Amino acid sequence: MKNTAKTDIQLLIARTLRWGVGIACALAVVGGAMYLWQHGGEPMKDYTRFPADADTARTAYTTLEGIFSGVVGFTAVGWIQFGVVVLLLTPVMRVALSLVDFVKERDWLYAFITAVVLFVIIVNSIGGY
Amino acid sequence: MTILAFTIILLVGAYLAGLLGSLTGLGGGVVVIPLLTLAFGVDFHYAVGAALVASISTSSGSGSAYVKEGITNIRLGMFLEIATTIGAVCGAAVAIWLDNNIIAILYGGVLILTAAMQQRQKSDHDGVVGSEAARRLKLFGSWPQKDGSFKSYQLKHVGGGFGVMYIAGILSGILGIGSGVLKVIAMDGIMKVPFKVSTTTSNFMMGVTACASAVVYIQRGQIEPGIACPVLIGVLFGALTGARLLKRLDVRVLRQIFCVAILLVAINMIYQGFSGQF
Repeated sequence: MKNTAKTDIQLLIARTLRWGVGIACALAVVGGAMYLWQHGGEPMKDYTRFPADADTARTAYTTLEGIFSGVVGFTAVGWIQFGVVVLLLTPVMRVALSLVDFVKERDWLYAFITAVVLFVIIVNSIGGY
Repeated sequence: MTILAFTIILLVGAYLAGLLGSLTGLGGGVVVIPLLTLAFGVDFHYAVGAALVASISTSSGSGSAYVKEGITNIRLGMFLEIATTIGAVCGAAVAIWLDNNIIAILYGGVLILTAAMQQRQKSDHDGVVGSEAARRLKLFGSWPQKDGSFKSYQLKHVGGGFGVMYIAGILSGILGIGSGVLKVIAMDGIMKVPFKVSTTTSNFMMGVTACASAVVYIQRGQIEPGIACPVLIGVLFGALTGARLLKRLDVRVLRQIFCVAILLVAINMIYQGFSGQF
């Protein structure tokens, strides 16, 4: 380890990852339990064919608004998908914290490289349907 | 089959997938796809969505341990992430147009490559003279040894490694598995990064790459809550158990058995793909 500041941010990254997966898992457990309680006895959904046209494939839980209203309305599927969103955020947070780290170290080359990676993910999540 | 039965079987299967994935270092997604498609007849487009969830679970779950040990080369990972995330974006864009059978054949091909790469020697690449580009990009590093000291290393062929990483990203966007095999080929085989550093750095990259395509998959409805929920929970706990077992278990025999198993799955996938059974 070169200095203590470096260790601090690495500990923060490790802690963020652990909390991120922990929260994601807890949300999925709550949502999953609700889902089984309400629908457990029903026959399994048909997953053998993914709908060919995009509009059928899209559900209320494919947008952030849909997921959030599902969480607020206490629907099982909303909570599960919120867990998935939190899980998706863990690697994003890791990249974002690394960016902070590089800026702190005044390593502008790597601050730029990290910003590009973050930019690709964010642009893809907004426009990449 | 009822939803309850499906969920329980998938939960147990995902746990084993996470366990095997972390013991062999291949990630949870590799087992999740054949489990869903071959055992349950699930469409590949849903299975790939589930594999992305599994990849991120494994990467973030085991990543918290690696960061502290200081083996991961964050600069190298971040630089190559530019190639893999752009590749993942392209792969996810193409994936929606691909037929199930083509995805199955591609998946089989990657599995065969994975099994072949498991057989190769693990090298520390002592005495590699790094290239000028790698030096300018500050990609040289050091990693901790068993006795607590740090050993430094250099690397080369930055351009070649970057190119293979782009392909790894495309495959990850189409197949959902981390395509760790191509990442290790790029870092270990081409850039001459020490084996231990390339596997942990590859694990670090797997989560970010999977995330870049998962943000598209979730919006398309390819991440199904009914499948994603047991996969997320099962793989995570499986990976945690695996990480704990790895410290006191000799996994060489297990890796060989697993190698044969994935070869059989690969042949099955390719055969069914070519005969149009998906």
